[in-house]
Amino acid sequence: MDTALFQAVVLGLIAFFGYMHSFMGSTMHNRPIIIAPLVGLLFGDLQKGIMIGATLELIWMGAFPIGASNPPDMVSGAIIGTAFAIISNQDTPAAVALAVPIASLVLIFDNMLMTFFIPFLSSKADKYAEEGDFRGVEKMHLIAVLGVKGLLSAIVALGFYLGAPSVTSILSSIPEFVTEGLNVATGLLPAIGFAMLAKMIMNKKLLPFFLLGFLLTSYMKISVLGVALFGVVIAMLVAGADKKIEGGAVDDNEF
Amino acid sequence: MTMNSKIGRKEFWQSYRRSCSLDASWNYERMQNLAFAYMMIPIIRAVCRTKEEIGRALKRHLEFFSTTPHICTLLVGIMGAMEEANQNDGEFEESSINAVKASLMGPMAGIGDSLIWGTLRVIAAGIAISFSMNGSVAGPVLFFAIINIPCFALRYFCLKQGLQVGTNFLLSMSKTSIMQRLTEGTSILGLMVIGSMVSSMIYFELTMQVGSGDFAQPLQDYFNEIMPGILPLAAFGAMYYLLDRKFKTTTLLAWVFALSVIGKYFGVL
Repeated sequence: MDTALFQAVVLGLIAFFGYMHSFMGSTMHNRPIIIAPLVGLLFGDLQKGIMIGATLELIWMGAFPIGASNPPDMVSGAIIGTAFAIISNQDTPAAVALAVPIASLVLIFDNMLMTFFIPFLSSKADKYAEEGDFRGVEKMHLIAVLGVKGLLSAIVALGFYLGAPSVTSILSSIPEFVTEGLNVATGLLPAIGFAMLAKMIMNKKLLPFFLLGFLLTSYMKISVLGVALFGVVIAMLVAGADKKIEGGAVDDNEF
Repeated sequence: MTMNSKIGRKEFWQSYRRSCSLDASWNYERMQNLAFAYMMIPIIRAVCRTKEEIGRALKRHLEFFSTTPHICTLLVGIMGAMEEANQNDGEFEESSINAVKASLMGPMAGIGDSLIWGTLRVIAAGIAISFSMNGSVAGPVLFFAIINIPCFALRYFCLKQGLQVGTNFLLSMSKTSIMQRLTEGTSILGLMVIGSMVSSMIYFELTMQVGSGDFAQPLQDYFNEIMPGILPLAAFGAMYYLLDRKFKTTTLLAWVFALSVIGKYFGVL
């Protein structure tokens, strides 16, 4: 088996492992911060994998499944982006430039599976249910899981195998200002993710806590972990204090 | 697991294990329906007697379902307790099972999504990324541990509570202000971490020089004298504003790419 084919198979297996996170307790090992280092490990450059993983994680900070909205397919993007960056000796910006569009493309395919294929199995499960057939219902669930995740993994392997010759040559012929521009973009993109997250929880009452976190790091250079620990203390003080105030108010009314 | 329950150790752990697959067959029609039925099966098998009852129970749990996967076991427990009550108590109103499920999954998703996807994951990523940026293996390892140790514990606790107290659980939770305070506390924590990350993880510099000769200085330095991190904060503010104006994230992504390359070409960035 030639090298490219072998690498494609390995990437397909990593992809399958990543996709299966939702079968193993939604452990989030499908996130780039874990998947990219795995690619790095198997392609002989663990450090680069870890660093690419960190950047992609920042960019997709605001991407997570909530209700009926699905995030870009991070598994395929992170795996193919990291693999090409390592084999063609490129740095993080190249991985990002590949990962972002790939993740959006594969999501379209995944969306079709989730719109047609799984609902079809679901209606078959209804029939088994009517007959009181446990096995049939279980089978539909498992076919949905293995079918979808198997197909997506095959796309990752195939995409790498077919794209390898052209993508490597394209990557090495990109003009310098574009690569540098991509580098600037990688630094800026996390702003979108952070804004998406903040929009979920921010309101006027909570704005000071956001600014406090920002200022602690800007002026006092406290790390994220440090701010998180301060955050725990402040959350305990603020959210814990509420009850006493309410209790006091109730007592006042009674007497 | 009450004394006389047919839901024993075996069924408990089977459901626990199966609950791990809640998001694995997600679909646009009924979302997590297949997985929900899949994890109810060990309980249905233990509790229901006739083929007809089994069929009705299976159909019930193949209906639309959607909640945060890591805490779904709370509902599995409550549903299990209700299915068993349905068998033991002739007066039991069967339709109340799905009514309870439908009314609880929304609020649970609200709390769970912001607690786990919105806060725990963000804190784990924030801490891990600072290690990963330096190429340290501690990054991915910490990320995995910070998320999964509490999540698997929570999954266990939820199933146990759900089975033990059935529907009373959420009633007792909402009587005390625990939920409300938990949400407020985690929001504070989450926002502080996001604030810290805006300062340390957005890289935005203006390399353009201003002034001439010996006095030439990067524009960047002037901004840093006003306030360190003011440019990242401005970038964050702009994105927040645009998202608020209903701009799509893919549109924003494309603009950031385009403007960065153009900015580099003209030497501003």
